[in-house]
Amino acid sequence: MYIPKPSKFDPDSLGHFDIFGGRYVPETLMPALLKLEKEYEQIRFDEDFWREVDYYLKDYVGRPSPLYYAHNISEELGAKVYFKREDLNHTGAHKVNNVIAQGLMAKRLGYKKVIAETGAGQHGVATATIAALLGLECEIFMGAKDVERQELNVFRMKLLGAKVHACQSGSKTLKDAMNDAIRHWVTNARDTFYIIGTVAGPHPYPLMVRDFQAIIGWEARAQILEKEGRLPDCVIACIGGGSNAIGIFQHFLEDEGVECIGIEAGGLGIDDKNGCSLQKGRPGVLHGQMSYLLQDEDGQILEAHSISAGLDYPGIGPEHAFHKENKSVTYDYITDEEALDAFVWLSQREGIIPAFESSHAVAYLKKLQNIKDKLIIVNLSGRGDKDMIQAKEMLHFD
Amino acid sequence: MNKQLVAYITSAYPDKNFTSDLALALTQNGVDTIELGIPFSDPVADGPLIEKANQLSLRNGFRFSDTVEITKEISDKVDLLWMGYFNSFYQQGLDKLLPLSKQLGLGGYIIPDLPHEETLRYKELFAQNGLVNIAFVAPTDSKERIETIVQDAQKFIYMVAYTGITGSGKDENLEPFINDIKTFTDTPVFVGFGVNAKTAKAKAKHSDGVIVGSAFIDILLQENLTHTQKIERCCELAKVIKEEINA
Repeated sequence: MYIPKPSKFDPDSLGHFDIFGGRYVPETLMPALLKLEKEYEQIRFDEDFWREVDYYLKDYVGRPSPLYYAHNISEELGAKVYFKREDLNHTGAHKVNNVIAQGLMAKRLGYKKVIAETGAGQHGVATATIAALLGLECEIFMGAKDVERQELNVFRMKLLGAKVHACQSGSKTLKDAMNDAIRHWVTNARDTFYIIGTVAGPHPYPLMVRDFQAIIGWEARAQILEKEGRLPDCVIACIGGGSNAIGIFQHFLEDEGVECIGIEAGGLGIDDKNGCSLQKGRPGVLHGQMSYLLQDEDGQILEAHSISAGLDYPGIGPEHAFHKENKSVTYDYITDEEALDAFVWLSQREGIIPAFESSHAVAYLKKLQNIKDKLIIVNLSGRGDKDMIQAKEMLHFD
Repeated sequence: MNKQLVAYITSAYPDKNFTSDLALALTQNGVDTIELGIPFSDPVADGPLIEKANQLSLRNGFRFSDTVEITKEISDKVDLLWMGYFNSFYQQGLDKLLPLSKQLGLGGYIIPDLPHEETLRYKELFAQNGLVNIAFVAPTDSKERIETIVQDAQKFIYMVAYTGITGSGKDENLEPFINDIKTFTDTPVFVGFGVNAKTAKAKAKHSDGVIVGSAFIDILLQENLTHTQKIERCCELAKVIKEEINA
């Protein structure tokens, strides 16, 4: 059974990963965060809590997710490529791992209402699902632009009984959804639990979500050792906020021979509109945390761009900012065009349709230098069903 | 003691000169302290009115240097604080910004997303420069937490009137919180959020003053008014509120 272990990359008692992380929120929210932190300290290594999480992850989500050897792609590249199949989880992505655990925490703390922000809608769907399962009232905040480009997920959330708010301010994407979720949270701090979808936001969320997603790396490590008898050379994952990446990296970060590679959304290109907070941003404060941000000279937050709604965010989880500085993870990017090519490539070579987000990690197989004979794990964080409408507009096969 | 009135206004909306004129006029009409707002792209503690003023100011090309210029212009005549989200100040570099703002004649800072724990590392820097960093107390705080927050509070304590964002109509009983604060400090307590001509009297009942933002911004956003009319209306509002809280 998976139980997190303390790591040398844990934040300090105020939630700081060096200068990153912390709690930059209105005072109204501080008592709720301090209560959450205390509660999490009590259950972080508690067997009873993790047994309950384990039950749902096995029987409801379908874990462990397979580590699949991709024969055709491996042959084409002359490398050994495995996919960690988070796309096979119930609700279609890794997001559910985190939401099950946070939902159970909300229940333990006595909350009856949960809220969540969502970009691609995967986290919104996962939250709506768990709210239905655990009998919690659920409201989802989503940028109006994302509501449009992810209409299937919006319908799924409604079908599951959630109320969906289309946020009209700013870029009308994930950043603005998070602004409105925080405003709602400040207003309803006493009776509402905020299920944050990624390793971001104020402490203790980045630590909690990392622990909840690290089951991915915990399984993948055991699976690759069983199949190959050795650790991989590279582990690749895409990064929006960075939870699937932190999740799979967590159990490889302290192994010197394993290179963890995080892929940001290169959008229209590195010198054009993109979502490359680490490559093009600088440290700053947004949404409760200090991390790398896309911003102008005065610290006004810039709009990100990505083909994938889940990566279309001008910030990144603080632990990634910290890993960039301490060089424990390598960061690179993939453009919209490269991601779309990989979306088709994986579909046609392996019969697996990846999410646009995950397509960024897949695409990196073609960008990675000296790939020959390498043993590689790619985290296939989600499936592409939700992207069909958008893909249909961009791709023509006749 | 006369109950005090603090007015929040957004920098450079509609333009720099207007902000300076408005600040000076308000000070002559009952406002004791001006909270000069730094527009930010993502003002999560603010309601729709202040968010809109922020966005319009940014769309007009607002730069941080505009706030510096306004401050230079009025600081000898106005008791002035800067109100902004932490990123706006952090990007200027606090090491440089604090001495500069002191030199400009600023009294201190109000930073709604910098709670007590995150202020600790800058405490020394604020003190060295003789600037205050206003402490916030929220109606979700326990007595223990209030004690921690207010122990070094200076100038005034910003009592958030309700759980929520600025400019909403919510109402909470603040008496127990203000009583708790008073057991730990003599620093005056000002109530902010949702204060307007109608609510001012009630909100000031147990406090030493009020902070008014959205009610002024509501006037600034009225497109059918000329600059002069806006300033007149704001001054009328300030006078009314000042009378209400001291009635």
